[in-house]
Amino acid sequence: MKNNVYSITAAELAAGQTEGLPDEMRTDTHLIYNSPGSLDFNSPGASGFGVKRAGLAIPGSIMLLISPACCGRNTAALSGPRYADRCAYLELDENDIVTGKHLAKIPAAVAAFVASRPTPPSAVSLCITCVDALLGTDMERVARRCVERVHLPVIPCYMYALTRESNLPPMVYVRESIYKQLQPRRKDSRAANILGFFTALAPDCELFELLRSIGIRHVRSLAGCRTYAEFEQLAEANFNLVLTGEVRSSAAWMERELHIPAIELKRVYSLAQVDNQYKGLGHVLGTGFATERYRAEAEQAMMALSHLLASRDRKPHLAVGSQLNADPFELSASLIATGLDVDEIFGIPQPEDSFYIKKIAAASPATRIYTALSPSMLNFDREHSDITLAMGTDAMYYHPRAIPLSWNDGAQPFGYQGITLLYKKLLEALTND
Amino acid sequence: MTDTHIKGLRLYLPPFAPDTSGAASVAFPTGGLSVIIDAGGCAGNICGFDEPRWQTDTSAVMSAGLRDMDAIMGRDDRLLDKIERALSQIAATHITLISTPVPAVIGTDLHALRRLLTRRCGLPVAIAASDGTHAYDQGASQAYLGLLEALLEPDTAKLPASVGIWGTTPLDITRPDADQLRHQLRISGCQHVFLHGLDHGAEPYKAAAAVERNIVIAPSGLAPARYLQQHYHIPFTVCHPLAAQQLETMLATTTDALPATGQRVLILHQQMAANAMRQAIRQRLGHEAPQINCATFFAQDETYCEPGDAKFTEEYEFPEWVAENAPDLIIADKIYQRALPSWHGIFLDYPHFAVSGER
Repeated sequence: MKNNVYSITAAELAAGQTEGLPDEMRTDTHLIYNSPGSLDFNSPGASGFGVKRAGLAIPGSIMLLISPACCGRNTAALSGPRYADRCAYLELDENDIVTGKHLAKIPAAVAAFVASRPTPPSAVSLCITCVDALLGTDMERVARRCVERVHLPVIPCYMYALTRESNLPPMVYVRESIYKQLQPRRKDSRAANILGFFTALAPDCELFELLRSIGIRHVRSLAGCRTYAEFEQLAEANFNLVLTGEVRSSAAWMERELHIPAIELKRVYSLAQVDNQYKGLGHVLGTGFATERYRAEAEQAMMALSHLLASRDRKPHLAVGSQLNADPFELSASLIATGLDVDEIFGIPQPEDSFYIKKIAAASPATRIYTALSPSMLNFDREHSDITLAMGTDAMYYHPRAIPLSWNDGAQPFGYQGITLLYKKLLEALTND
Repeated sequence: MTDTHIKGLRLYLPPFAPDTSGAASVAFPTGGLSVIIDAGGCAGNICGFDEPRWQTDTSAVMSAGLRDMDAIMGRDDRLLDKIERALSQIAATHITLISTPVPAVIGTDLHALRRLLTRRCGLPVAIAASDGTHAYDQGASQAYLGLLEALLEPDTAKLPASVGIWGTTPLDITRPDADQLRHQLRISGCQHVFLHGLDHGAEPYKAAAAVERNIVIAPSGLAPARYLQQHYHIPFTVCHPLAAQQLETMLATTTDALPATGQRVLILHQQMAANAMRQAIRQRLGHEAPQINCATFFAQDETYCEPGDAKFTEEYEFPEWVAENAPDLIIADKIYQRALPSWHGIFLDYPHFAVSGER
């Protein structure tokens, strides 16, 4: 095995699914190779949204990171108008860790932090890490003492990397912590929330127009809130649209405490599945949506790529990573269904991917699945490959000579708009090949 | 009325490179398997922020991927299994174990792990008992000593015209500066120059007892240089040979003249770099040189201090020192300006990667 790279074909993976994932595809059986291709696993905030950035999602809020210095080091990279001057640190030393003395200092530190800002913050997040997880710190209680001191909402954020594979992983927990700041409000039947992403849905996404067509005048999201008052308005929604699983438990809390029912949609890149989702949504809301125009645009984009490829002697070979705005297995299954060759997928299969893996195995059994986390990836030959186009920053890392398509923009693609943009980007990238 | 004199509170400055990063930086180029015993976040911080080589060079830096039950149950056997499994997949000459807050809190016995690993895997094992609460220089020193203990070959024949440079990790020196340092030493007659923290492979540590002399350019290099002096009688000097040139570069970016006699300068950096810059200014200005104080947030060895030099531990100590001593010029990484919102003297940027993460 030495000097080899672990991978498995889609056919092998699909055939062995009943026995569970191979050890190399599990994250608890091997060391985690720390390459640029796995950075978002080890440190989600390094290139996207980790707990720190997520904890600052409430407009006007500030964050006190309470931890050993090593946990806050990369926070220095948080810059720009959205984050400047919004973080402070209470660094723990060995004495604090042994005695828990730091807990008594937190209210005074929060007061000093609030007083030091040029404008009063809307809320204060208290971000704690693995050390306090092991110490069993009751941060809710500490937060209450802070509220008494500064008279502002104080929100505990748990950056417990140790609990990544628990029932309440950090990115789920931090969403709950944020949405739990909302107080019950009178409902506005013309308002809906989009829950899930920390950056806004692409403004040209048809979802906005479709909701408007049924009388929804206010489509709100956390990322779209510019003030704390706007954040509070999220509690007025008539219903929530849940676009990622990580916000499911928050939506359940909102249903229970704020009486806002939730409808779950998934980001998919298959026309048929988008059709079905909008039909289902219309059914739940007791209406129907005129989606023909958006579907036609998506079909047109897909057709344009198809024409380009038909004019070429050789088909492109794709590698699909997991650091992108998609589920890599769903995206690969959809691309393969349209006739594209996906040779490689970089990702850890989740239980919900089983359906897509079977589809991939049926249509493209030789597609190889790699996990960027495997130590054997150290042996991956990045210089020689037949891959034409690499999607996602991890696939791009492993195929530096392929055409790069990060597909990881801040504006979140969704529905027909996502498909249209994806195929336009693919056309653009492959046209210049 | 709020109190800002709270131990550990940083209102303006982000955390500096921690001991975990210093240790990983030393281990990175050595050709070994570096295991960061953490849940993932520490490894992400180290490589994603403190290791500039990580985007371009390949190194076997792995996270132990600890989970809550590993920490609660102390499942070190699983860690050993994982390391053994990784070694069946990759080539490595040795193992470096880098500790983090989680093993520190649960009291992981690193020495026992080293013994077990050596027996199971048959490779030398170095340990760095970092815990994330100290600065990078301490972690780098621990890794240097750990690698010397694991790899050094004491009976190697002396290398003629050889020199070992300690403290040369990217946290303290840029690659171009390191290349220039090597070039200068070669011109001055050194045939073998080992840059510990930059040169690839385990050879610099195997041959550490064979060099004629050592040079220390950052505090992290003092511990290994003293170890080699004590055990192998290798003399060392402390200097930062590029300071004069760095001063020229710095002055080229400003129209302000250096302060003269009767005025005051503060140089804030790691101790060796600050001292070397002080020396460079004195050489340039001769008897007209101003009063120059060096200060640091990192390790400070009294041997290399002058009266009036300062050691800052807490963030607030820096602006208070400035308010009290009113320097006319501060030479420091520009990120330190954040802690001086009401100070309006001349500031020259003297970058320190371990502070700002910028060149």
